[in-house]
Amino acid sequence: MSAFTPYNLRRLKRAASQIVVLGIALALLALLGNSVRQGFAARGVDFSFDFLQAPAGFEISEGVTLTADGLTAYASSMTNLQALGAGLANTVKVALVAIVLSTIVGVAMGVCRLSTNWLVRALAFGLTEFLRNTPLLIQLTFWYVAVVLQLPGIKEAPQVLGAIISQQGLWLPKPTVTGGTGLLIAAMALIPLGLLPIKAAEGRRRGLGVAVGVILGLAFLLGLRLGVDLPEAGRFRASGGMAVSPEYAALLIAITVNSAAYISEIVRGAIEALPRGQWEAADAIGLSRRHVLGDVVLPQVFRVVMPSFGNQYISLAKNTSLGIAIGYPDLFNVYGTVSNQTGRSLEGVLLAMGIYLGLSWLISLAVNLVNRRMKIPGAR
Amino acid sequence: MTTFAKSLRWLHVNLFAKPFDTGLTLIVLPLLAWVLWGFLDWAIMLADWSVVLSSIKVLMTGLFPVEKLWLVWIALCLIAGLTGLASSTTMPFGRNALLAALALVALSLIAAAWFDTISAQTALVVASFFAVWAAGSRSETLRANLTGIAFGVLITVLLVLSPAGPSTWGGLLLSIVLTLTAALLTIPLGVLLAFGRQSRIASLRALCTGYIEVMRSVPLILVVYCIWVAFPLVAPQFPLPDVVRGLIGFTLFYSAYAAEFIRSGLQSVAKGQTEAAESLGLSDMDTKRIVILPQALRVAVPGLVGNILDIFNYAPLVFIIGLTDFLRAGQMILANPENSGRTYEIYVFLFLVYFAVGSVITFQARRLERKLAQGARK
Repeated sequence: MSAFTPYNLRRLKRAASQIVVLGIALALLALLGNSVRQGFAARGVDFSFDFLQAPAGFEISEGVTLTADGLTAYASSMTNLQALGAGLANTVKVALVAIVLSTIVGVAMGVCRLSTNWLVRALAFGLTEFLRNTPLLIQLTFWYVAVVLQLPGIKEAPQVLGAIISQQGLWLPKPTVTGGTGLLIAAMALIPLGLLPIKAAEGRRRGLGVAVGVILGLAFLLGLRLGVDLPEAGRFRASGGMAVSPEYAALLIAITVNSAAYISEIVRGAIEALPRGQWEAADAIGLSRRHVLGDVVLPQVFRVVMPSFGNQYISLAKNTSLGIAIGYPDLFNVYGTVSNQTGRSLEGVLLAMGIYLGLSWLISLAVNLVNRRMKIPGAR
Repeated sequence: MTTFAKSLRWLHVNLFAKPFDTGLTLIVLPLLAWVLWGFLDWAIMLADWSVVLSSIKVLMTGLFPVEKLWLVWIALCLIAGLTGLASSTTMPFGRNALLAALALVALSLIAAAWFDTISAQTALVVASFFAVWAAGSRSETLRANLTGIAFGVLITVLLVLSPAGPSTWGGLLLSIVLTLTAALLTIPLGVLLAFGRQSRIASLRALCTGYIEVMRSVPLILVVYCIWVAFPLVAPQFPLPDVVRGLIGFTLFYSAYAAEFIRSGLQSVAKGQTEAAESLGLSDMDTKRIVILPQALRVAVPGLVGNILDIFNYAPLVFIIGLTDFLRAGQMILANPENSGRTYEIYVFLFLVYFAVGSVITFQARRLERKLAQGARK
């Protein structure tokens, strides 16, 4: 028997191409590495991440970072690594809130796209088309330059329900808790348990509700008081309350509104893809349109849209990097400052890429988890 | 039914079908009227549009030298012709198009006579769009070779513009040149990546998958900035202008997206096609090139056109490497203290132009999708 049967030959060929591909990839990598090394050598520095431990020495307008005593506000005396941490915290702060808000707004807009009212339908369509066919960056700068920065100054700012809305930023009333905080946290920690979509959860949910009520009552007896910390307008800024910077507000609005347009498109597509029979059956048993949507259509839609939502969430998280255009100190912005100050742009870029990769993977992991939870066992 | 009864019926069905709909209409309609009235009142009575006219050159071409502007007009005619050819693949040039062509050419001539900042060359650009559209509708050969022609036209455009130096390119011109070049370059790269991701060679598959997934997980602005910063470090012997470095960043980033559209096309081609091609004795390369790819691209084309819109919508990010695209040009004009009160005029103009271009691309993508779906129906 010859060793060169066609089958063996093909295997040999494939193994050879494996080696060739790997060889080319390694050679390219080596070439790149070598030229980077030479580039570094020409400037008299070497590739290292030591700069992360050096003091940053620049200010960041907002953000918390990890220090020896937990999360504290960033200060310029901290290290570059802590500065990047503050940037990451700011990115996460925008991304998380925008994901929640844009999902709510987007689903509402998607339902509007299929409203029985022509006016609402047309308006929702026009709005999504406009948002999807213009760049996010111009929307962002528009919200910042033409809306947020045109608000009245702090002295003339209107107060809506205790919130101050001004050019210098937003100050929202902040709920405060005094006494018995531990019990309150315990009661809050129980609530998510009740929201988990576990089978036969009805009875357990009621039990949980009673438990939460009892703990809260106990806490109240022990001196728990809820209050509101209202902001007060000062000369240049307000004191008290929860401060929101104008940059954060503009970035959050722009990203939320833009992303909501894409989410509404996903929702509309999913609703339209639902078999007509579902609508007709729900109509036939005499459900009102509200119940058709809420009890029949949307629950089925949410089961299929999660993967598309996940992609949208990832692109939303990536879009927070546009904050640099209006001076919001997100991860990319802080990375830019650090690399300018230290000249370590290549090391920094590897780090930033790694962080964004991790962020994207975390989001897709979370979405996959939710998706698995929502699937009906046995359903396709 | 009389027209009146018909319109009453339309109103009833679409606006006042149920108490809830009636309520919605009664809330939304006055609100909409108020917003529209406010906008029109501002746009006609209060706004001073002269700032747009006086800065139109900067908005459209950035710092392009004035004495070489005729190069831009040639480039624009070429690009308009390319757009016309692309239109002919989805819409045959009919009588309505002819009327629209005559009207638009006349309109641009009148506008040129009226405002001294709009030149008569605009009519030439409009005319070349319609002329090539008409030619494309007549000639199957032109339409079949769209990709090749696009590459040729684009190289010509870049050559025509190069005497002014890439660093002077700006405004809408830069946005469009960047979008077209990046969009075209991502297609061959995307094809290679998509085939690589499905290759039988495990190491190649892993490399391509890794590349695509990493590119899809990091922000574009980071990739563009990284290429811009790293290039002089890696290859100091080749000093490339900023525009080219930005273009490389956009191409590398969006080829990962293009690859995914093409991969979904590849997956839609039935396995029997490969088997049939192999049993005919076609080589592996020929099977992919002659049999698989044309069918895959058919499915991928609407996605790839959508990709063009994405590139155009993210083109303003080049501000990070110091380029002056359309949006940045608008912001530069607003930075001039003389125009500080004209924020809304400039932004409305920018929005309108962006929306117009974006809508055209979306419209074409939808038409293509419908047309290709028609051909595939059995």
